[in-house]
Amino acid sequence: MIDDSRFIRCHTCEAVNYDNIEEELLCRRCKCQIHQPLYISYHKTWAYLITAIILYIPANLYPILITKKFGIEKASTILGGIIHLWEAGSYPIALIILVASVFVPLLKFIFILYLLISTKYNLHSSKVDKHKLFYITEAIGPWSMIDVFVVIILSVLIHFSGVQIFPGVGATAFALMVFFTMLSALSFDTKLIKKEDI
Amino acid sequence: MLTDKELDNFIICKKCNTLHKKIPLHQGGKALCSKCNTFIYKRDNNMLEKSLALVVTALISLSVAFTFTIITININGLSKSLSLLSLFDVLLEHHQYIVGIMFLFLTVLFPFMMLSSMFFVLFFIKIEKYGYAIKRLLILLSHIQHWNMLDIFFISLLVAMVKLFDYAKIEFGVSFLALLLTLILELMVTKNINFDTLWQKYNNIYGEDNDR
Ligand SMILES: [Zn+2]
Ligand SMILES: [Zn+2]
Repeated sequence: MIDDSRFIRCHTCEAVNYDNIEEELLCRRCKCQIHQPLYISYHKTWAYLITAIILYIPANLYPILITKKFGIEKASTILGGIIHLWEAGSYPIALIILVASVFVPLLKFIFILYLLISTKYNLHSSKVDKHKLFYITEAIGPWSMIDVFVVIILSVLIHFSGVQIFPGVGATAFALMVFFTMLSALSFDTKLIKKEDI
Repeated sequence: MLTDKELDNFIICKKCNTLHKKIPLHQGGKALCSKCNTFIYKRDNNMLEKSLALVVTALISLSVAFTFTIITININGLSKSLSLLSLFDVLLEHHQYIVGIMFLFLTVLFPFMMLSSMFFVLFFIKIEKYGYAIKRLLILLSHIQHWNMLDIFFISLLVAMVKLFDYAKIEFGVSFLALLLTLILELMVTKNINFDTLWQKYNNIYGEDNDR
């Protein structure tokens, strides 16, 4: 049996490489960087994560959708929209939006925070679980864009002289929040899980 | 130390990071991770041809999806259509530049780039030429993959339609079907294509000296 910990998977071409303790490692096959010096990846992940968390505030406070009915504007935030849908009886849609725009971003924040803190302080938990957690974090990320896309689609379809729907500032903040959360997950280096001491 | 050739006989599960030694499979056989049961690789001698056919069809279907009307709604005699063009018209009119640019990249450019790079990679490997381009495109592909949000756009479309269902009559356009077809084809391509094999084929074409 070969010792697992001596090998690392290239994210770009999936090739198995010998891991090194050096600062930087290039893939033997595609010559792409497998990992940067670890502290860079660690700080990048933090920077993107903090940006995303800050953007999460305006994304929720500012209206994501504005309805203009005969000159009168009505703004609704993400949570407001979900409550409105729930009261109107559209439970499935309310649930989809609740999960996609509220729970998924929060879960991603918590997962990445947990990964960063637990790898930094060697918290006792299985490395396999951390790899799985990271995999899930990457996979669920894009789904939070649903609400922004729905607003875009509605603003195209409800575009009459009397009634109009258009995206508010919250939509921009939200889209940027998703973007930075994805960057944060992508810059997290799975080698941090393995090394557990930086 | 193992040589590169020997290292190619190993594979690491992308989900749980477990190292596996590849075992020979019969045609059509699949290998799953011994720890987490995730699909790792399969043997398919016709992978190249199959993927090529799927990618070409998906590209045509995607072009159709972005050319014609996706859906049309009708409220009390007033009708509005959703197409790619009307979408950007409205976004520009409301000065939603950041959202507009993100939409352009996530649902239009990246899906197109993904499918067309796949086409060129498969085609170049098939004719065994342009090794350098194969390499650049394979690297590009691994980066764009995370950012293709065509599927999420489609789900959003369904959500928007359910929201409008009560007070509008909804008609499906040609592009709605094309969009659905593209997504199904894209799913089939991702199931079919094996990047590890493509990289190995690239190495075979280009030889060991692939630094050029
Ligand atoms: Zn590589
Ligand atoms: Zn596994």
